[in-house]
Amino acid sequence: MTGMELANHPVIWIFASAIIVIVVFQAFKFLSMSKKRAKEIGLTDEDIKRSIKTGAITAIGPSVGIIIVAVSLISLIGNPLTLMRIGVIGSAPIESMGAQLSAEAAGAQLGSASFTPEVFSLIVWVLCIGGAGWMIFTVFATPSLDKIQDKLSAKPNGKHILGLVASGAMIAIFGSLLSNEFLNGFPYIFTGLVAMIVSFTINYISNKKGIAWLKEWSLGFSILISLIAVYFVV
Amino acid sequence: MENYAKATHFWGRLTLSLGILLSFALPIYLSFVMGYHPGFALIFNAFLAYAAVIAVVWFVEPIMYYPVLGSAGTYIAFFTGNISNMCLPAVAACQEAVGVEPSSQKGEVVATLGISAASLVNKLILVPVILAGLWLLTVIPEGIQEIFPYVLPAIFGAVFVQFAGKLPWYGVLALAVGFMVNISPVPLFAKNLICILLVVSVMIYIDKRKRPAV
Repeated sequence: MTGMELANHPVIWIFASAIIVIVVFQAFKFLSMSKKRAKEIGLTDEDIKRSIKTGAITAIGPSVGIIIVAVSLISLIGNPLTLMRIGVIGSAPIESMGAQLSAEAAGAQLGSASFTPEVFSLIVWVLCIGGAGWMIFTVFATPSLDKIQDKLSAKPNGKHILGLVASGAMIAIFGSLLSNEFLNGFPYIFTGLVAMIVSFTINYISNKKGIAWLKEWSLGFSILISLIAVYFVV
Repeated sequence: MENYAKATHFWGRLTLSLGILLSFALPIYLSFVMGYHPGFALIFNAFLAYAAVIAVVWFVEPIMYYPVLGSAGTYIAFFTGNISNMCLPAVAACQEAVGVEPSSQKGEVVATLGISAASLVNKLILVPVILAGLWLLTVIPEGIQEIFPYVLPAIFGAVFVQFAGKLPWYGVLALAVGFMVNISPVPLFAKNLICILLVVSVMIYIDKRKRPAV
Protein backbone atom coordinates (compact mmCIF):
# COMPACT_ATOMS: atom_id res chain seq x y z
CA MET A 1 0.00 0.00 0.00
CA THR A 2 1.25 3.53 -0.76
CA GLY A 3 0.83 6.45 1.62
CA MET A 4 -1.86 7.97 -0.59
CA GLU A 5 -3.81 4.70 -0.69
CA LEU A 6 -3.84 4.59 3.09
CA ALA A 7 -4.85 8.25 3.09
CA ASN A 8 -8.05 7.36 1.24
CA HIS A 9 -8.71 4.14 3.17
CA PRO A 10 -12.29 3.61 4.46
CA VAL A 11 -11.01 3.61 8.06
CA ILE A 12 -9.95 7.24 7.75
CA TRP A 13 -13.34 8.09 6.24
CA ILE A 14 -15.08 6.49 9.21
CA PHE A 15 -13.10 8.49 11.77
CA ALA A 16 -13.51 11.70 9.78
CA SER A 17 -17.28 11.22 9.46
CA ALA A 18 -17.58 10.45 13.17
CA ILE A 19 -15.90 13.69 14.19
CA ILE A 20 -18.01 15.73 11.76
CA VAL A 21 -21.15 14.10 13.18
CA ILE A 22 -20.11 15.21 16.69
CA VAL A 23 -19.40 18.79 15.53
CA VAL A 24 -22.83 18.95 13.89
CA PHE A 25 -24.52 17.40 16.92
CA GLN A 26 -22.83 19.98 19.17
CA ALA A 27 -24.08 22.87 17.04
CA PHE A 28 -27.67 21.54 17.11
CA LYS A 29 -27.48 20.93 20.85
CA PHE A 30 -26.28 24.47 21.60
CA LEU A 31 -28.79 25.89 19.15
CA SER A 32 -31.71 24.32 21.00
CA MET A 33 -30.28 25.09 24.46
CA SER A 34 -29.66 28.73 23.67
CA LYS A 35 -33.06 29.10 22.02
CA LYS A 36 -34.71 28.08 25.27
CA ARG A 37 -32.38 30.28 27.27
CA ALA A 38 -33.07 33.23 24.98
CA LYS A 39 -36.78 33.10 25.80
CA GLU A 40 -36.08 32.92 29.53
CA ILE A 41 -34.04 36.11 29.50
CA GLY A 42 -36.54 38.05 27.41
CA LEU A 43 -35.34 37.83 23.84
CA THR A 44 -38.20 37.70 21.33
CA ASP A 45 -38.77 35.04 18.67
CA GLU A 46 -37.85 37.74 16.19
CA ASP A 47 -34.47 38.24 17.92
CA ILE A 48 -33.78 34.50 17.91
CA LYS A 49 -34.63 34.15 14.25
CA ARG A 50 -32.51 37.16 13.41
CA SER A 51 -29.47 35.82 15.32
CA ILE A 52 -29.62 32.43 13.61
CA LYS A 53 -30.14 33.95 10.19
CA THR A 54 -27.30 36.43 10.64
CA GLY A 55 -24.93 33.72 11.86
CA ALA A 56 -25.83 31.53 8.90
CA ILE A 57 -25.37 34.30 6.33
CA THR A 58 -22.11 35.43 7.91
CA ALA A 59 -20.66 31.91 7.63
CA ILE A 60 -21.07 31.73 3.84
CA GLY A 61 -18.24 34.09 2.88
CA PRO A 62 -15.58 32.62 5.19
CA SER A 63 -16.60 29.03 4.32
CA VAL A 64 -16.31 29.64 0.59
CA GLY A 65 -13.08 31.52 1.23
CA ILE A 66 -11.27 28.46 2.59
CA ILE A 67 -12.27 26.19 -0.31
CA ILE A 68 -9.07 26.65 -2.30
CA VAL A 69 -6.74 26.01 0.64
CA ALA A 70 -8.86 23.07 1.75
CA VAL A 71 -8.76 21.53 -1.69
CA SER A 72 -5.02 22.09 -2.04
CA LEU A 73 -4.56 20.22 1.24
CA ILE A 74 -6.35 17.22 -0.32
CA SER A 75 -3.51 16.74 -2.77
CA LEU A 76 -1.11 16.49 0.18
CA ILE A 77 -2.97 14.36 2.73
CA GLY A 78 -6.04 12.92 0.95
CA ASN A 79 -9.76 13.73 1.27
CA PRO A 80 -10.80 12.14 4.58
CA LEU A 81 -7.93 13.50 6.70
CA THR A 82 -8.51 16.94 5.12
CA LEU A 83 -12.15 16.68 6.17
CA MET A 84 -11.13 15.69 9.68
CA ARG A 85 -8.56 18.49 10.00
CA ILE A 86 -10.44 21.33 8.27
CA GLY A 87 -13.82 20.28 9.69
CA VAL A 88 -12.63 20.83 13.25
CA ILE A 89 -10.26 23.30 14.90
CA GLY A 90 -7.10 23.89 12.92
CA SER A 91 -6.55 25.83 9.76
CA ALA A 92 -5.28 24.93 6.33
CA PRO A 93 -1.95 26.77 6.67
CA ILE A 94 -1.23 25.17 10.06
CA GLU A 95 -2.20 21.70 8.81
CA SER A 96 -0.06 21.90 5.69
CA MET A 97 2.84 23.14 7.81
CA GLY A 98 2.35 20.19 10.18
CA ALA A 99 2.24 17.76 7.26
CA GLN A 100 5.45 19.23 5.77
CA LEU A 101 7.26 19.16 9.12
CA SER A 102 6.28 15.52 9.70
CA ALA A 103 7.35 14.44 6.24
CA GLU A 104 10.65 16.26 6.70
CA ALA A 105 11.24 14.59 10.06
CA ALA A 106 10.78 11.23 8.33
CA GLY A 107 13.05 12.27 5.49
CA ALA A 108 10.21 11.86 3.03
CA GLN A 109 8.45 14.09 0.56
CA LEU A 110 4.68 14.51 0.32
CA GLY A 111 3.27 13.16 -2.91
CA SER A 112 6.42 11.23 -3.88
CA ALA A 113 7.35 7.54 -3.68
CA SER A 114 8.91 8.18 -0.25
CA PHE A 115 5.39 8.97 1.03
CA THR A 116 4.81 5.57 2.64
CA PRO A 117 1.87 4.52 4.84
CA GLU A 118 4.15 5.01 7.86
CA VAL A 119 4.79 8.61 6.85
CA PHE A 120 1.06 9.16 6.46
CA SER A 121 0.50 7.64 9.89
CA LEU A 122 3.12 10.01 11.31
CA ILE A 123 1.28 12.99 9.79
CA VAL A 124 -1.95 11.76 11.39
CA TRP A 125 -0.24 11.54 14.78
CA VAL A 126 1.10 15.09 14.57
CA LEU A 127 -1.97 16.78 13.08
CA CYS A 128 -4.59 15.02 15.20
CA ILE A 129 -2.83 15.47 18.52
CA GLY A 130 -1.81 18.98 17.50
CA GLY A 131 -5.45 19.92 16.89
CA ALA A 132 -6.50 18.27 20.14
CA GLY A 133 -4.28 20.78 22.00
CA TRP A 134 -6.90 23.52 21.71
CA MET A 135 -9.71 21.18 22.66
CA ILE A 136 -7.92 19.81 25.72
CA PHE A 137 -7.17 23.28 27.04
CA THR A 138 -10.74 24.43 26.33
CA VAL A 139 -12.20 21.45 28.19
CA PHE A 140 -10.13 22.22 31.27
CA ALA A 141 -10.03 26.02 31.29
CA THR A 142 -13.51 27.18 30.22
CA PRO A 143 -15.29 26.53 33.54
CA SER A 144 -12.59 28.56 35.33
CA LEU A 145 -12.81 31.37 32.79
CA ASP A 146 -16.56 31.41 33.39
CA LYS A 147 -16.04 31.73 37.15
CA ILE A 148 -13.52 34.54 36.72
CA GLN A 149 -15.96 36.40 34.52
CA ASP A 150 -18.78 35.93 37.04
CA LYS A 151 -16.60 37.30 39.81
CA LEU A 152 -15.53 40.31 37.78
CA SER A 153 -19.07 41.16 36.74
CA ALA A 154 -20.27 40.99 40.37
CA LYS A 155 -17.94 43.89 41.26
CA PRO A 156 -19.28 47.44 41.13
CA ASN A 157 -18.65 48.72 37.64
CA GLY A 158 -17.60 45.18 36.67
CA LYS A 159 -20.16 44.74 33.89
CA HIS A 160 -19.20 48.05 32.37
CA ILE A 161 -15.50 47.12 32.36
CA LEU A 162 -16.20 43.67 30.87
CA GLY A 163 -18.21 45.32 28.10
CA LEU A 164 -15.24 47.58 27.40
CA VAL A 165 -12.88 44.58 27.35
CA ALA A 166 -15.10 42.67 24.91
CA SER A 167 -15.49 45.50 22.41
CA GLY A 168 -11.89 46.66 22.87
CA ALA A 169 -10.67 43.13 22.20
CA MET A 170 -12.67 42.98 18.97
CA ILE A 171 -11.32 46.32 17.71
CA ALA A 172 -7.80 45.23 18.62
CA ILE A 173 -8.01 41.73 17.07
CA PHE A 174 -9.47 42.94 13.82
CA GLY A 175 -7.18 46.00 13.69
CA SER A 176 -4.23 43.66 13.99
CA LEU A 177 -5.55 41.09 11.49
CA LEU A 178 -6.49 43.80 9.01
CA SER A 179 -3.14 45.59 9.16
CA ASN A 180 -1.41 42.25 8.64
CA GLU A 181 -3.47 41.76 5.45
CA PHE A 182 -2.70 45.31 4.33
CA LEU A 183 1.01 44.52 4.48
CA ASN A 184 0.47 41.96 1.68
CA GLY A 185 0.18 44.69 -0.93
CA PHE A 186 -2.18 46.76 -3.01
CA PRO A 187 -5.01 44.33 -3.90
CA TYR A 188 -5.33 43.41 -0.22
CA ILE A 189 -5.48 47.06 0.83
CA PHE A 190 -7.98 47.80 -1.93
CA THR A 191 -10.28 44.89 -0.98
CA GLY A 192 -10.11 45.76 2.70
CA LEU A 193 -10.92 49.42 2.06
CA VAL A 194 -13.88 48.63 -0.21
CA ALA A 195 -15.24 46.20 2.40
CA MET A 196 -14.85 48.86 5.09
CA ILE A 197 -16.74 51.45 3.03
CA VAL A 198 -19.54 49.02 2.11
CA SER A 199 -19.90 47.77 5.67
CA PHE A 200 -19.96 51.31 7.05
CA THR A 201 -22.53 52.43 4.47
CA ILE A 202 -24.83 49.47 5.07
CA ASN A 203 -24.76 49.92 8.84
CA TYR A 204 -25.30 53.67 8.46
CA ILE A 205 -28.31 53.24 6.17
CA SER A 206 -29.90 50.52 8.26
CA ASN A 207 -29.54 52.63 11.43
CA LYS A 208 -30.81 55.81 9.75
CA LYS A 209 -33.78 54.23 8.01
CA GLY A 210 -34.41 51.52 10.58
CA ILE A 211 -34.03 48.68 8.07
CA ALA A 212 -33.10 45.89 10.45
CA TRP A 213 -32.82 43.03 7.93
CA LEU A 214 -30.05 44.89 6.11
CA LYS A 215 -27.73 44.23 9.04
CA GLU A 216 -28.17 40.49 8.65
CA TRP A 217 -26.61 40.78 5.21
CA SER A 218 -24.04 43.42 6.08
CA LEU A 219 -20.99 41.17 6.21
CA GLY A 220 -22.11 38.99 3.29
CA PHE A 221 -22.67 42.02 1.04
CA SER A 222 -19.40 43.65 2.12
CA ILE A 223 -17.42 40.54 1.18
CA LEU A 224 -19.25 40.01 -2.10
CA ILE A 225 -19.02 43.63 -3.29
CA SER A 226 -15.36 44.04 -2.34
CA LEU A 227 -14.46 40.78 -4.12
CA ILE A 228 -16.30 41.84 -7.25
CA ALA A 229 -14.46 45.15 -7.11
CA VAL A 230 -11.04 43.54 -6.73
CA TYR A 231 -11.87 41.06 -9.52
CA PHE A 232 -12.19 43.96 -11.97
CA VAL A 233 -9.25 45.92 -10.63
CA VAL A 234 -6.58 43.22 -10.46
CA MET B 1 -29.17 30.67 35.06
CA GLU B 2 -27.52 27.91 37.07
CA ASN B 3 -29.05 25.20 34.90
CA TYR B 4 -28.13 26.79 31.61
CA ALA B 5 -24.54 27.36 32.72
CA LYS B 6 -24.27 23.80 33.98
CA ALA B 7 -25.74 22.33 30.83
CA THR B 8 -23.40 24.48 28.72
CA HIS B 9 -20.31 23.15 30.46
CA PHE B 10 -21.63 19.59 30.46
CA TRP B 11 -22.44 19.39 26.74
CA GLY B 12 -19.46 21.53 25.75
CA ARG B 13 -16.99 19.36 27.61
CA LEU B 14 -18.68 16.12 26.57
CA THR B 15 -18.64 16.91 22.83
CA LEU B 16 -15.06 18.20 22.97
CA SER B 17 -13.93 15.14 24.92
CA LEU B 18 -15.41 12.89 22.23
CA GLY B 19 -13.52 14.95 19.66
CA ILE B 20 -10.29 14.53 21.62
CA LEU B 21 -10.90 10.81 21.97
CA LEU B 22 -11.34 10.39 18.21
CA SER B 23 -8.25 12.52 17.57
CA PHE B 24 -6.16 10.10 19.59
CA ALA B 25 -7.97 6.97 18.43
CA LEU B 26 -7.21 7.40 14.72
CA PRO B 27 -3.40 7.48 14.95
CA ILE B 28 -3.43 4.69 17.55
CA TYR B 29 -5.59 2.59 15.23
CA LEU B 30 -3.30 3.23 12.24
CA SER B 31 -0.21 2.34 14.27
CA PHE B 32 -1.31 -0.65 16.30
CA VAL B 33 -4.31 -2.17 14.54
CA MET B 34 -3.32 -1.63 10.92
CA GLY B 35 0.37 -1.89 11.73
CA TYR B 36 1.65 1.33 10.13
CA HIS B 37 3.61 2.55 13.09
CA PRO B 38 6.22 5.23 12.35
CA GLY B 39 7.92 4.72 15.73
CA PHE B 40 7.61 6.89 18.81
CA ALA B 41 10.99 8.55 18.34
CA LEU B 42 9.87 9.93 14.99
CA ILE B 43 6.43 10.91 16.32
CA PHE B 44 8.08 12.73 19.19
CA ASN B 45 10.51 14.59 16.93
CA ALA B 46 7.88 15.64 14.40
CA PHE B 47 5.42 16.64 17.09
CA LEU B 48 8.05 18.72 18.85
CA ALA B 49 8.85 20.60 15.65
CA TYR B 50 5.13 21.28 15.18
CA ALA B 51 4.45 22.15 18.81
CA ALA B 52 7.35 24.60 18.86
CA VAL B 53 5.33 26.76 16.48
CA ILE B 54 1.78 26.07 17.66
CA ALA B 55 1.74 25.09 21.35
CA VAL B 56 1.51 28.60 22.82
CA VAL B 57 -1.57 29.27 20.72
CA TRP B 58 -3.43 26.36 22.40
CA PHE B 59 -3.38 28.35 25.65
CA VAL B 60 -3.44 31.93 24.47
CA GLU B 61 -6.40 31.78 22.06
CA PRO B 62 -9.11 30.32 24.31
CA ILE B 63 -8.28 32.87 27.02
CA MET B 64 -7.91 35.80 24.67
CA TYR B 65 -11.24 35.22 22.87
CA TYR B 66 -13.26 34.26 25.94
CA PRO B 67 -14.62 37.75 26.73
CA VAL B 68 -16.07 37.90 23.19
CA LEU B 69 -17.24 34.29 22.78
CA GLY B 70 -18.50 33.41 26.28
CA SER B 71 -18.59 29.81 27.54
CA ALA B 72 -20.89 28.21 24.97
CA GLY B 73 -19.26 30.20 22.18
CA THR B 74 -15.83 29.00 23.27
CA TYR B 75 -16.88 25.34 23.23
CA ILE B 76 -18.33 25.69 19.75
CA ALA B 77 -15.56 27.85 18.28
CA PHE B 78 -12.70 25.69 19.54
CA PHE B 79 -14.33 22.61 18.08
CA THR B 80 -15.62 23.86 14.75
CA GLY B 81 -12.57 26.05 14.04
CA ASN B 82 -12.35 29.13 11.78
CA ILE B 83 -12.34 31.37 14.82
CA SER B 84 -11.05 34.71 13.61
CA ASN B 85 -12.45 34.47 10.09
CA MET B 86 -15.90 33.08 10.93
CA CYS B 87 -16.86 32.72 14.60
CA LEU B 88 -15.83 36.18 15.80
CA PRO B 89 -17.40 37.91 12.76
CA ALA B 90 -20.60 35.91 13.36
CA VAL B 91 -20.72 37.09 16.98
CA ALA B 92 -20.18 40.69 15.92
CA ALA B 93 -22.79 40.57 13.16
CA CYS B 94 -25.49 38.93 15.35
CA GLN B 95 -25.03 41.29 18.27
CA GLU B 96 -25.21 44.22 15.90
CA ALA B 97 -28.28 42.87 14.06
CA VAL B 98 -30.22 42.21 17.27
CA GLY B 99 -28.86 45.29 19.02
CA VAL B 100 -27.44 43.77 22.22
CA GLU B 101 -24.30 44.65 24.15
CA PRO B 102 -21.34 42.29 23.88
CA SER B 103 -20.57 40.37 27.10
CA SER B 104 -24.08 41.05 28.48
CA GLN B 105 -26.35 38.09 29.24
CA LYS B 106 -28.40 38.67 26.11
CA GLY B 107 -25.27 39.32 24.09
CA GLU B 108 -23.84 35.97 25.08
CA VAL B 109 -26.97 34.02 24.13
CA VAL B 110 -27.27 35.85 20.81
CA ALA B 111 -23.61 35.02 20.16
CA THR B 112 -24.24 31.33 20.88
CA LEU B 113 -27.20 31.23 18.48
CA GLY B 114 -25.11 32.88 15.77
CA ILE B 115 -22.02 30.71 16.16
CA SER B 116 -24.08 27.49 16.21
CA ALA B 117 -25.78 28.48 12.98
CA ALA B 118 -22.43 29.52 11.47
CA SER B 119 -20.86 26.19 12.43
CA LEU B 120 -23.69 24.28 10.72
CA VAL B 121 -23.53 26.33 7.52
CA ASN B 122 -19.76 25.90 7.47
CA LYS B 123 -20.05 22.10 7.52
CA LEU B 124 -22.88 22.22 4.99
CA ILE B 125 -20.53 23.97 2.54
CA LEU B 126 -17.30 22.21 3.46
CA VAL B 127 -18.38 18.56 3.40
CA PRO B 128 -19.56 18.51 -0.24
CA VAL B 129 -16.52 20.60 -1.24
CA ILE B 130 -14.09 18.08 0.22
CA LEU B 131 -16.07 15.17 -1.23
CA ALA B 132 -15.86 16.83 -4.65
CA GLY B 133 -12.19 17.47 -3.91
CA LEU B 134 -9.67 18.12 -6.61
CA TRP B 135 -12.34 17.96 -9.32
CA LEU B 136 -13.63 21.29 -8.02
CA LEU B 137 -10.43 23.12 -8.96
CA THR B 138 -10.95 22.13 -12.57
CA VAL B 139 -14.46 23.60 -12.56
CA ILE B 140 -13.95 26.95 -10.85
CA PRO B 141 -12.54 29.41 -13.42
CA GLU B 142 -9.00 30.53 -12.69
CA GLY B 143 -9.95 34.21 -12.55
CA ILE B 144 -12.36 33.44 -9.72
CA GLN B 145 -9.81 31.28 -7.91
CA GLU B 146 -7.38 34.18 -7.98
CA ILE B 147 -9.60 36.41 -5.87
CA PHE B 148 -10.10 33.84 -3.11
CA PRO B 149 -7.11 35.05 -1.07
CA TYR B 150 -8.78 38.47 -0.82
CA VAL B 151 -11.68 37.06 1.20
CA LEU B 152 -9.67 37.59 4.38
CA PRO B 153 -9.02 41.35 4.10
CA ALA B 154 -12.69 41.73 3.09
CA ILE B 155 -13.95 39.94 6.23
CA PHE B 156 -11.49 41.67 8.53
CA GLY B 157 -12.19 45.12 7.07
CA ALA B 158 -15.97 44.75 7.32
CA VAL B 159 -15.91 43.53 10.93
CA PHE B 160 -13.31 46.08 11.95
CA VAL B 161 -15.40 48.99 10.73
CA GLN B 162 -18.45 47.75 12.59
CA PHE B 163 -16.65 48.31 15.90
CA ALA B 164 -14.31 51.09 14.91
CA GLY B 165 -17.25 53.01 13.44
CA LYS B 166 -18.59 53.50 16.96
CA LEU B 167 -15.22 54.23 18.56
CA PRO B 168 -13.18 55.72 15.70
CA TRP B 169 -10.21 56.83 17.79
CA TYR B 170 -9.73 53.37 19.21
CA GLY B 171 -10.00 52.05 15.67
CA VAL B 172 -7.14 54.30 14.58
CA LEU B 173 -5.16 53.22 17.64
CA ALA B 174 -5.79 49.51 16.93
CA LEU B 175 -4.69 49.86 13.31
CA ALA B 176 -1.56 51.80 14.30
CA VAL B 177 -0.62 49.27 16.97
CA GLY B 178 -1.49 46.46 14.52
CA PHE B 179 0.89 47.82 11.89
CA MET B 180 3.70 48.24 14.38
CA VAL B 181 3.23 44.77 15.83
CA ASN B 182 2.99 43.14 12.41
CA ILE B 183 6.16 44.71 11.03
CA SER B 184 8.18 43.91 14.16
CA PRO B 185 9.69 40.45 14.63
CA VAL B 186 7.11 39.34 17.19
CA PRO B 187 6.05 35.66 17.21
CA LEU B 188 2.71 35.11 15.51
CA PHE B 189 0.66 34.21 18.58
CA ALA B 190 1.84 37.34 20.42
CA LYS B 191 0.73 39.78 17.72
CA ASN B 192 -3.00 39.87 18.40
CA LEU B 193 -2.40 39.48 22.11
CA ILE B 194 -0.12 42.55 22.35
CA CYS B 195 -2.65 44.51 20.33
CA ILE B 196 -5.50 43.47 22.64
CA LEU B 197 -3.57 44.26 25.82
CA LEU B 198 -2.53 47.70 24.59
CA VAL B 199 -5.88 48.82 23.18
CA VAL B 200 -7.94 47.49 26.10
CA SER B 201 -5.67 49.06 28.73
CA VAL B 202 -5.84 52.42 26.99
CA MET B 203 -9.65 52.12 26.84
CA ILE B 204 -9.94 51.26 30.52
CA TYR B 205 -7.51 53.99 31.52
CA ILE B 206 -9.40 56.68 29.60
CA ASP B 207 -12.72 55.34 30.85
CA LYS B 208 -11.50 55.61 34.46
CA ARG B 209 -10.37 59.19 33.98
CA LYS B 210 -13.69 60.14 32.43
CA ARG B 211 -15.82 58.80 35.26
CA PRO B 212 -14.83 58.90 38.91
CA ALA B 213 -14.66 55.48 40.60
CA VAL B 214 -17.99 54.29 41.99
